[in-house]
Amino acid sequence: MEPTVAAFDRHALRATRSRRDGWRDTWRGYRTAARLGWRVEANWADPILFLTYSVAKPLAGALILVVMLEVVSGGGADEYRAFIVVGSALWSFVIAGLSGLAMSVLDDRERYRMLKYLYISPTSLAVLLLGRGTARFAMGGIGAAVTLAVGVLFLGVPFDPAVMDVPLLLASMALGLSGVIALGVVFAAVVLQTRQDSWSYPEAVAGALFLLVGAVFPLAVLPMPVQALGLVTPLTWWVAAVREALFPDAVSSIAGPGSLYTRLTGVTEPDRWVLLICLLATTVLVTLGAMLTFRVSERRAKDRGLIDQTTGT
Amino acid sequence: MTIFARPRTASPMEAARWSPRRQLATNLRSVFGRAYPRLIGLAREPSWTFFEVLLPFLTTSAFVFVYRALDAPAEYIGFVVLGGAMTAFWINVVWMMGAQLWWEKDAGNLELYFTTPIDLMSVLLGMALGGLVASCLRAGVVLLVGTVVYGVSFGVDQWVLLLAVFVLTLTALYGFGMVLASLFLLWGREAFHLAQLLQEPVYFLSGLNFPVARLGMLGALAISTLPLAVGLDAMRQLAFPGGVATYGTPSPEIEAALLVAMTCFFLLAARFMLRTIERMARHEGRLTTRGD
Amino acid sequence: MSLPSVPAIETRGLRRVYKTKPKPIVALDGIDLEVAPGEFFGLLGPNGAGKTTLIKILTTLLLPTTGTARVFGFDVARETRQIRRLMNIVAGGEQSGYGLLQVREQLWMFSQFYGLGTREGWQRVDELIEAVGLDEQRNQKVSSLSTGQRQKMNFARGLLNDPWVFFLDEPTLGLDVSAARSVRELVRTWKDALPGRTILLTTHYMAEAEELCERIAIVDHGRILAIGTPDELKHRVQSESIFRLEVDRLERGAGALAGLPGVVSASTATDGTTPAPDGVQTLNLILDNDTALGGVVTALGSMGAQIVALRKSEPSLEDVFVELVGRGFDEDGAGSNGHHEAVAR
Repeated sequence: MEPTVAAFDRHALRATRSRRDGWRDTWRGYRTAARLGWRVEANWADPILFLTYSVAKPLAGALILVVMLEVVSGGGADEYRAFIVVGSALWSFVIAGLSGLAMSVLDDRERYRMLKYLYISPTSLAVLLLGRGTARFAMGGIGAAVTLAVGVLFLGVPFDPAVMDVPLLLASMALGLSGVIALGVVFAAVVLQTRQDSWSYPEAVAGALFLLVGAVFPLAVLPMPVQALGLVTPLTWWVAAVREALFPDAVSSIAGPGSLYTRLTGVTEPDRWVLLICLLATTVLVTLGAMLTFRVSERRAKDRGLIDQTTGT
Repeated sequence: MTIFARPRTASPMEAARWSPRRQLATNLRSVFGRAYPRLIGLAREPSWTFFEVLLPFLTTSAFVFVYRALDAPAEYIGFVVLGGAMTAFWINVVWMMGAQLWWEKDAGNLELYFTTPIDLMSVLLGMALGGLVASCLRAGVVLLVGTVVYGVSFGVDQWVLLLAVFVLTLTALYGFGMVLASLFLLWGREAFHLAQLLQEPVYFLSGLNFPVARLGMLGALAISTLPLAVGLDAMRQLAFPGGVATYGTPSPEIEAALLVAMTCFFLLAARFMLRTIERMARHEGRLTTRGD
Repeated sequence: MSLPSVPAIETRGLRRVYKTKPKPIVALDGIDLEVAPGEFFGLLGPNGAGKTTLIKILTTLLLPTTGTARVFGFDVARETRQIRRLMNIVAGGEQSGYGLLQVREQLWMFSQFYGLGTREGWQRVDELIEAVGLDEQRNQKVSSLSTGQRQKMNFARGLLNDPWVFFLDEPTLGLDVSAARSVRELVRTWKDALPGRTILLTTHYMAEAEELCERIAIVDHGRILAIGTPDELKHRVQSESIFRLEVDRLERGAGALAGLPGVVSASTATDGTTPAPDGVQTLNLILDNDTALGGVVTALGSMGAQIVALRKSEPSLEDVFVELVGRGFDEDGAGSNGHHEAVAR
């Protein structure tokens, strides 16, 4: 017994643990939660059903929009088709990001009744929820990739790898996904306060955000105050930057005649640096907001005993 | 404890003997009994109005703006608003009914329902009824506000038929929901994912924002199998007579008959499925206990 | 009120096998049981003995693999509706319910499932809330109830239809002493308030079975080992002498006493492998007669063990169990290694 206790003491309970140990612990916590999340998400079905689920939803979402385009334009408007396909492909990330963390809260609180144990563990609850949500995020990625591939291969989206702006794509994806995760944290904070039946809320929020960020139509068609809201959302800049990276000739979702952006800047199409700087700025803003929201929600949940509540109706 | 000394029946035989009328009355009471927690939940936590009424309206608005960006005819905006309103019921069927039995099992309630003298169909109907309040509000808001804000003009000539189609769509949808509930329970943990799987693909196949006829054979298949597809198409034909919605699909009268057939089929199928579920539950002893 | 002539509960050759991997589990293995109307009957057995399976079959949640089971003459396989109208069930550790509802509302919902009128339902709920002692919690949310309060609410739910047969599956599981006592009092009060009410209680708490039940069946591995009143059961080991010894430094465990002349069984109160912190262990000895004790004392002395206290005890239901099964109640019955260390015959 003696050596085990000593080893345990030496590695885990030392009072003078360094910051590096803390990071290592956080990483370990995240990794474990991510592995658990993957097992929870993926062990329920055979691979074919799993793939169907991951792909069918985003693909159907994109098809709805493509058919809407077809019934009006009658097969023309290739540029707009690319516009729609990119927007809906990225949207599967948004839905996955928003629902991943939120569903972890609901699942672990109401179904597995483990949230209280996660909460009292030394690893931050946000980190653990992030880990749990990673699997969904990965599935969102599969959905996005397949939607883009189907768009290019079967829906006539004009994609030319030679003109693709890879650095912009990588940078915007990194920043954009951080923004999505931050929004996911905000949403996890929200469902920490709400009842079990709120499992459908993430999609409702994602659907509403659809309106604001120029995912499937240019912001210019929206009223000015709504455009202003869209411009402070990182998703708007993310979608525009990815679209710019993949299809440099695509219609801008941000600028153009009738848009607030053009009215304010006089520019008809923001360049890649503007897109990246605005994406960075709004992502930082949302991340700070997310951290604050989660902290407030966590405190309120603790104050009102919501961490281990069950609320089914 | 005088209440303990008051017998409710003179003998166990009397307690076990119920007239068909009493059984029916109890089943009906159970519908309201099960709807009650849902209604209380709505009243007790009003945040749902934001998430389940306002946000879906915004989602519908997003599709309206897609058509606006494409300079589509005004009629198409009406399609989106009507489609947006009807999705409320489909969401209710999938989430608050289909997936719910599985959740009930998980919470340990299903076992208790099995020990009571009621039909499981009453429980499912109760859940649906409880959820219907929120759905009706959502559908109403999307329809009314959408009509006013986006200037949709309806040209209904056959109000009675429209109302009948709407009611029939709901009955067929909820019958379908009961079948789903049984299937979800059988398939266990996949229920949540299946519920998600049934959202966008069914929206697409039902022609949520466009005339379903534009899907060709796929649309015809949807009309013959999905209550939302056939109901939505019939309602569009009746709400926008003479427009693009009237081409390529059966007349509203035929679609109403289709809905009647679907209602009968799904209700019978649900009854059969629920009985099968109960038999399996009792045979295998796993359907009522919590899963992994 | 005359009691019905048919048995309240009757099972014949009841067998239930769960098809599990790697091998099927036989939960019930030919149970023959008859409980009379108005009887308080207990099923006593360790975890995994098959008690809950039996209750599930009787409450129509599970079908028997073979054999028959009837509740007041109604067949559990075919006449489920009739049975559900006249019985109810409360299980220990039951966490079901809707957290957002208040206690009153939760109970009212269930009253509707038993066909009570709207107003009648509320009235009955209020009466039952008072009867089970949940007055102060009536408007409290279900999710905020303590374990004991929750179990009282479960009892109120179970009594909504004033069942003729009340199945109680480990009803005091997880409750503290005071809450368990009030639950037992509640059960007894309800039972005694009217003749003809039948209760089938499963428990693994000996004292609870002994305190409440008129007759008890001891079950293990899906079989009934003995049925009788608590006194009748205890009489089974009455002919033998039972001693409890507190022994210090019993390093070789109870097994060392096996095979001594006159020793029927020897077991430790714990699992025999982990002595109490002070090193003193309690030994339960069943001997052919008192004279065999001398040999045990000598043997203990020669082993270097010291007898701290010695008491001749009246047999308990645990002794009956040990006598019937050959192991202690808390010991794993699945043939674990601990079994042989703790019990020697």
